Amino acid sequence: MTTDEALVKLGQSTTKAICGVLEMFAPGQITPGEVAVVAPGKHPLEGIPVPAVATMVSYVDGVTGGYLFVMTAEGARKLAAAMMGMEPDETAGAPELSELELSAVAEAMNQMMASAAGATTAVLGIEVEIGVPETRSFMSTDAAIDAYARTPHATRAAVSVCGEPCRFVQLVPNAFVVRMTRALDEAEYTTADPGGASGGAARDGPRDGTPSLAGISVRVCAELGRARMPSAGIVGLPAGAVVGLNRQADEPIDLYVNGRPFATGRLMVVDGSDWAVRIESIVGQPENVNQSKEVA
Amino acid sequence: MARVLVVDDAAFMRKMVTDALTRGGHEVVGEAGNGLEAIDRFQELKPDLTTLDITMPEKDGLTALKEIIELDPGARVIMCSALGQESKVLESIKLGAKDFVVKPFQADRVLEAVGKALG
Repeated sequence: MTTDEALVKLGQSTTKAICGVLEMFAPGQITPGEVAVVAPGKHPLEGIPVPAVATMVSYVDGVTGGYLFVMTAEGARKLAAAMMGMEPDETAGAPELSELELSAVAEAMNQMMASAAGATTAVLGIEVEIGVPETRSFMSTDAAIDAYARTPHATRAAVSVCGEPCRFVQLVPNAFVVRMTRALDEAEYTTADPGGASGGAARDGPRDGTPSLAGISVRVCAELGRARMPSAGIVGLPAGAVVGLNRQADEPIDLYVNGRPFATGRLMVVDGSDWAVRIESIVGQPENVNQSKEVA
Repeated sequence: MARVLVVDDAAFMRKMVTDALTRGGHEVVGEAGNGLEAIDRFQELKPDLTTLDITMPEKDGLTALKEIIELDPGARVIMCSALGQESKVLESIKLGAKDFVVKPFQADRVLEAVGKALG
């Protein structure tokens, strides 16, 4: 999978997530558009209509990038009206958004960004944390472009909110691209592997031929432990260095399905050479060692 | 009927929660826009129940929850979280929150959580 293909897949996933949230606030008035990769040297906000209201939220833990949603001022006003149960015409033509309207829009953006982070977590298989969103108004496109720094990679998606043109931008750091490409490649490999762990289930689908979620391929990851250290420490690690993890050797390890905790179990070797995990407990269910299962 | 303190950094969400609670027959005795204000208002008003947003400036909801529980181990607190904050919701329950509601939420869900926490 190429970098651009991976970026588009990530953009599609997050765009779908934010549109789901918007749809709850303004039912039937949200239309997602195509996701495109922003060309190198171009700014993702080029060509946005103004006046505009933009909300930006950054990733935390030192990773550069985040999510940016830009709407026309009229779009923000219509969204706020929908959220407050008013007709869009009731507030049309007002010189600027009231404090309550701005607060409503900021809250919608807040919830959208949290949803986008959740979608990114599902794609990357690692928990993506975000900071507190910041909402600003812009009277010119240049001012908006100057306000947000470019990242090595970005996607943009057109979204119609209450008939107004809006833009959802994902500013993607290099670290995510590497992780994402690998994660999506693994997912494709699993789906295409006829003799692999999927057993062809993703292609075959359910036996009765009816549509179902049962045939969807999911990514299963086993985690031995975690470590937290300053980024400077990571950069300075030489080959041969030992990084201690937060878990004892005799403790169970965690199993994640598409990035979400699913079970705990014991690491073991099968057939003399292959790693496997013996499931001891399923998250949310009482522990029962006697009914343990192995995942190779 | 309960005396409720509503904490959220968004004025819009405070209004939504207040409207829902008022329609359900409860009295909103105060509001706060961040965790710092929440602690002050909690000590001042001694509410029967507090609704607490998780993501807020100055002091976030989890830190405020911890301090509220230290002040009053029997405090009834309901957390308000956005989608994708499952780990923080879990942590808040471990810290002593009685329940949580996920935004965007319906008024009925808020009232259900309040009824459960008071019961």
